[in-house]
Amino acid sequence: MGDTLNILGEVFLNTISHWWIILPTIFVGLIVGGIPGFSAANTIIILMPLTLAMDLETGLIFMVTLYASSRMGAGIPAILVNIPGTAGAAATPLDGYPMSKAGKGQQALAMSFVASSLGGLLTTVIALATMPLLARVGFYMHSVEMIVVMLFGISLIAAIAAQDMLKGLIAGFLGLMIGSIGTDVIYATPRGTFGFLELYDGVPLIPALVGLFAVSEAFVIIEKRVILSEDGEVAMKTPNWRDTFEGVRMAFARWVHVIWTSLIGLAIGVIPGAGASIASFVAYQQSRTYSKTPELYGTGHPEGLIAPESANNGVTSGTLVPLLVLGIPGGATAAIMLIVMQFHGVNFGPGLFEDNPQVGYGMFMAMMIAYLFMILTILPLSRYMSRVTTVPTIYLAPMIIAFTLVGSFVPREYMFDMYLALAFGVIGYIARRTGYHVAAILIGVILGPLLETYFMRALRISEGDVMVLFSSTLGNILWVCLVLTLTLPLVFDWRRKRKEILGK
Amino acid sequence: MIRSTRMNRRTLLQTGVAASGLVLAAPSVLRAQSFPERNIDVYIPTREGGGADRNFRAFTAIWKEKLGTDFEPGFYPGASGRVGYEVYMGRAEPDCYSLVFGNMGPEVLNWAVQRPEFDINDYFYFGRVDTDPGCLFVGAESPYQTLDDILEEARTRTMSVGTSRLAHPASIGLLALGEETGTNFNLVPLSGGRNTVAGAVTGEVDFSVLTSGSVIASGDSTRCLLVFGENKVGERLNNAPSINDAFDMNLPEMLSSRAFGIHRQAAEDFPDRYQRLVDTFHETFDDPRLMDEYVAARGTPEYLNEGDVEDCAEFFDAMLELGERFRPMLTGG
Repeated sequence: MGDTLNILGEVFLNTISHWWIILPTIFVGLIVGGIPGFSAANTIIILMPLTLAMDLETGLIFMVTLYASSRMGAGIPAILVNIPGTAGAAATPLDGYPMSKAGKGQQALAMSFVASSLGGLLTTVIALATMPLLARVGFYMHSVEMIVVMLFGISLIAAIAAQDMLKGLIAGFLGLMIGSIGTDVIYATPRGTFGFLELYDGVPLIPALVGLFAVSEAFVIIEKRVILSEDGEVAMKTPNWRDTFEGVRMAFARWVHVIWTSLIGLAIGVIPGAGASIASFVAYQQSRTYSKTPELYGTGHPEGLIAPESANNGVTSGTLVPLLVLGIPGGATAAIMLIVMQFHGVNFGPGLFEDNPQVGYGMFMAMMIAYLFMILTILPLSRYMSRVTTVPTIYLAPMIIAFTLVGSFVPREYMFDMYLALAFGVIGYIARRTGYHVAAILIGVILGPLLETYFMRALRISEGDVMVLFSSTLGNILWVCLVLTLTLPLVFDWRRKRKEILGK
Repeated sequence: MIRSTRMNRRTLLQTGVAASGLVLAAPSVLRAQSFPERNIDVYIPTREGGGADRNFRAFTAIWKEKLGTDFEPGFYPGASGRVGYEVYMGRAEPDCYSLVFGNMGPEVLNWAVQRPEFDINDYFYFGRVDTDPGCLFVGAESPYQTLDDILEEARTRTMSVGTSRLAHPASIGLLALGEETGTNFNLVPLSGGRNTVAGAVTGEVDFSVLTSGSVIASGDSTRCLLVFGENKVGERLNNAPSINDAFDMNLPEMLSSRAFGIHRQAAEDFPDRYQRLVDTFHETFDDPRLMDEYVAARGTPEYLNEGDVEDCAEFFDAMLELGERFRPMLTGG
C-alpha cells in the first residue's frame, strides 16, 4: 500500500510537470472532437510519427489528454448548433440544443463542461481504485448481457415515441432498417446496399449523424434570422459571467445525477467493444425513466444534458481498464494507444502493474490531471463559444453545411459519403417538417447494427437456440431491470393521473 | 578478312527495320527509364492504424528509396477486405502506378466463399512481405490449459471458437483439426483480431484461433496451444507445437501473408514498369535496414519472408482450393 502511494505521488508530480503538453493538447482535442469526422483515434494515427518520437511518458500523457478532451469537445457543437462531433455525443443535443435556442447556450456549455469533467474525474478515481474488480466486468458481460444493454438504449425510441407513438415508432424502425444495410456479421453477405460498394461496411455513422442533425438543421434554421428564439435573443443580448456560474451551479446542484450517470458510462466503458454512443443513450434513457419530470426531457432539461455528457466521459476512463489490466483495448483509441505503448516496449496485460506500475498508474493520473486542467481552462471559454448562436443564419447555415460535409468526407475519403450526408439531410428535414423525430432514426442507425451483432453472436454460440437469451444469471437480472424500466414509468404515470383525478 | 561496307538492298532493309524498331521502342524505353514519374497509389483493404498499415509503412520506408518515389496509401476497409479490392479493380488505372496491399490468406479465401464483382484472375500478387501462421489459443484464466484439455472437452460437446472472420486461414486450420480428431467446433466470427482475443480472454467463447502475430502482441493475457504452421518464435508462442507435428498431418501452413498485388493488364501493357517494381521490391529485401523498420513497426522478425510472383501464385491457388473444400462450413451452405 505504501509503495503504491509512493508511486502514485511520484506519478502525480511527474504528470503535473508535463503541463506544457497537456494544455495545448486540450485545445487540439476540443477542436478535433468538435469537428464531425475527426476524432481522437484519427488524430493519434495522423500524429503517430510525432507520438512515436516522444518519450514514453510524454506520448502517454499526450494521447490520454487528447482522448479525454476530444470527448468533451464533441459536445460543444452538439449543444450550440445541433451537430454532435462524434456518435458518443449523439444524445447531447436532445436537451443541449433547445437550451441554446432559448439563449442558455452559455449555461448549457458550462454545465456540460462541469458534468463531463466531474464525471470523467470521478470515474477515473473509481477506476484507479477498483481496477481489478472492474476488469472482471468484461468476464460477465457477454453477448446476451449486451443485447439487454442495447435494448435499454433502443427503448429510448419508445420514450421519444411517447409524444406521437405511431410517428416515433415509424422513425425508430426506419433507423433500424437503415442500420441493417451492409454485409451481415456472420457470412459477410451484402444486404440492401443497392450495389454501392461504399455501403458494404454498413451506413457510415458520421454522414448519417451530420446529415440527420446538422444538414437538416441548417435547412431549418435558414428559414429564420438566427437560431435563437425571441426570448433567447433577449437573453443573449447581455452576455455576462453570471450565466457561466449559473451553469456551474446547475451542474453541481445535480451532483447525484452526475455521479450515477457517469457510473453507467464507466460500467459500459469497461466492456471491451462497447462504446460512448451506447453509454450516452442508455444514460439518457435511464435518467429520463427515473426522473420526476420525464415530460421535460427534449425541451432543454438540464438533467437531459448532464446524463449523456457524464456518461460518455465515464466511458473514457472505463476504456483504459481492460486495456491496462487485460491487454484488451476497449475501443479504437485504446487500440492505437496499445500500438504506441508496445512500440516503447511496454506490454499491457496482467503483468503491467508489476513490471511497469508507473505506466499503469500514469495513464489514469494523466486522465485525472487532464480533466482538472480542462475544467479550469475551458470553463471561461463558454461565454465566448456561446456567441456562435447569435451569428445570423445566412452565414451560419452555409458554414454548417460546408464544415459538416467535409467532416463526413474525412473518415473514409469517399465523395459518396458527402452525398449520403446530403441525402440524410433531406430525410432529416422532411422528418422535422412532418413531426418525426430524427433522434429516433439515429438511435436505430447507431444501435441497430450493434444489437444485431450481439444477437447473431449469441445465437451462433448457442447454435441457434433462442433460449440463450435467458441463459445467464446476470442477463436475467438485466432483463428484469429492463422490464421494470419500461413498466415503472407507466405505473408512476397511472398513479399520478389517479391522484389527480382523486384530488379533483 | 575485309568486310564489305557497301550498302545493298538487304542491308538497307535490315537497318531500316532495326532503326524503325528503335524509334518505335524509344518512348517505351524512355518511359521505363523514367518510371516512376509520380507517386505510387496503394490500395489497402483494411483500416488505417492496423497491422497492414504498420507493415506497409515499414516496407515502403525502404522500397521508396529503391524505386525513387513515394507510396501513397488509401484505406478502403469493409466486407472482409472486399471493398478495397473492388475499388482497386474497378477504379484504379491499370498503369503500374496503382497497387493493392492485401493479406493473401483471408482475402483470397474470401473469394472462394464470396465471389467478387471482378474476375479474380485480373490481378495477381507479385511480392510477398511476410508470413504469419495462424494459431489456437486460450485466455490466461481458461479452464483449458493444454490441447489435450480441449480435445477431451470437444469429444463431449461442440466447443465455441472465436475467429476474426469465418473465411480465415486459422478457421481452416481449426476445421482441419476437427476433421483429424473427429471433433466438432462451432466457429463464431467476432469481427476482427481485437475482439477475437477479447472473446478468449473473457470466456465468451471456449477458445479462439487467430494469426499468431496478434496473439504474441496480446502478451500474458493469452496462452498459445497449437500453431497451424511452423512455430518459428518458440517461447513467444508458449512453445506450442505445429499441427502437423502434433497430429502427424500434412496440412499446408495456414498463413496470413501480406503481399503487393497489381492489375494483370498493367503488368502485360507495361512490362518494363512492372519489372522495375519487381526488381526494386527484391532489392528492398536485400537492404538490412528493412528488418529494423519491420521490428520497429512491431513486426515479428521471424515472419518477414520474401516471396516472388510464383510463391504468391502457389499460395493463392492453395487458398482457393482450401476455400472450396471447406466452403459449406464457411458459408453455412
